[in-house]
Amino acid sequence: MTGAHHRPRVLIAEDDPDTLVILRVNLNAAGIEPMLAGDGHTALERIEAESPDAVLLDVLLPGIDGWQVLEQLHAKGNTVPVIVCSGKDNIHDLQRARELGAVAYLVKPFDIDRLIEVTSEVVGLRQGAPAAGRGTAADADGVELA
Amino acid sequence: MRNHRLNEPDRLRRDARIAGLRDFQTPSLEAVEQRRRQLWQRTATALALVAALVVAFAIVPSDRLAAPGTGRILFAIVGVGGGLFLWAFHKETALERLTRSLTDERVLTAALTNRLHEVSLLLDAGKQMNAHLQMDELLDTILRSACELLDATGGSVMLVEETDLVTVCALGRDAAEGQRMRLGEGVAGYVAIRREPVLIDGHADPALFPGLILREPYVESAMSVPLVHRAELEGVLNVNAPIGRSFTEYDLRALAVFSEQAALAIANARLYEAERAHVAALLDLRKRREVG
Repeated sequence: MTGAHHRPRVLIAEDDPDTLVILRVNLNAAGIEPMLAGDGHTALERIEAESPDAVLLDVLLPGIDGWQVLEQLHAKGNTVPVIVCSGKDNIHDLQRARELGAVAYLVKPFDIDRLIEVTSEVVGLRQGAPAAGRGTAADADGVELA
Repeated sequence: MRNHRLNEPDRLRRDARIAGLRDFQTPSLEAVEQRRRQLWQRTATALALVAALVVAFAIVPSDRLAAPGTGRILFAIVGVGGGLFLWAFHKETALERLTRSLTDERVLTAALTNRLHEVSLLLDAGKQMNAHLQMDELLDTILRSACELLDATGGSVMLVEETDLVTVCALGRDAAEGQRMRLGEGVAGYVAIRREPVLIDGHADPALFPGLILREPYVESAMSVPLVHRAELEGVLNVNAPIGRSFTEYDLRALAVFSEQAALAIANARLYEAERAHVAALLDLRKRREVG
């Protein structure tokens, strides 16, 4: 999909309207085209219909939550790179994200510059050299998912 | 100017102009869809006309085709057809961008509406809780409001009494009322000690929750949150999901926010009870002096 568009597209799945706006503005400024989803159903629909280049997935979503979205993507074999955003900084959630194929795990509240850096890296990985759709990206707190 | 340097309304206006939506006063996905249908119907008609002309030239006898200028006419027709397709494709690209932008706007509006709804529900619950100072009425209101907020079928409120947690109000399982457990025992005891919300999906792990009593009927999904006010643990609030529904971390966060207000209301009711007891003691003392 990326080739057909000038800018990489990233879906932001987040229920908080303020965070949605902040991420949209910052991703736009970084040359990434943001797409928005306020709940799990919309996120899944837009991922399937519009094939974004990456997904910023908040764990706390109404309807079906971020974990369920990740599980469904994993079950369907969808290889879109997913960056999990969570308020929890524990090994259990990190492990879960890794098992479900997420490429990075960001702990909230995150530094917006770091988030842009990680997102750009993930989008770059997908566009660039690595053969696998899923690469490695370090998160804001130094946690890494391989 | 590059796309991302334009602000959202300017992008919308520019894409609407390119897509041929001149009367685009109120952005709507329906208007974009209508324009898309119209665009491709017209393009298909024009392309069919071009194809018909090409076919007509193809069936014309070859000696007529040799006439001067015929090749150029054919080339011009094919060129017009190609140009038409590119023109439609350009408009379709703008329509695609419009669809995405308008979908994003809808998502933002829905997120704002949801947040307003949540805040409104929490405010209502807060008002209802603050309207009660009698502990029994308050606990009942807390439990009912929590169940309404989360679409839960039942639950319980447990209050701290020295080193125990006592179930003082229950919905759905009346038998639970009066039940006593030590802090640290079971899910509620764990929540009380750790002072962190817990979401149970499926069977709770006895290894994680020492002293856990397996309940019948089995609850598929449940949440427990501590009731803490000014670093003081007041108790634990538990809610159970209806059959076939699982709570999510999103629900857990909502219950955690709700529990802050509930803990405040309980602390106020306890203060009120203590004040009443104090006043009653003073009145009793005065009466005794008068009698004496």
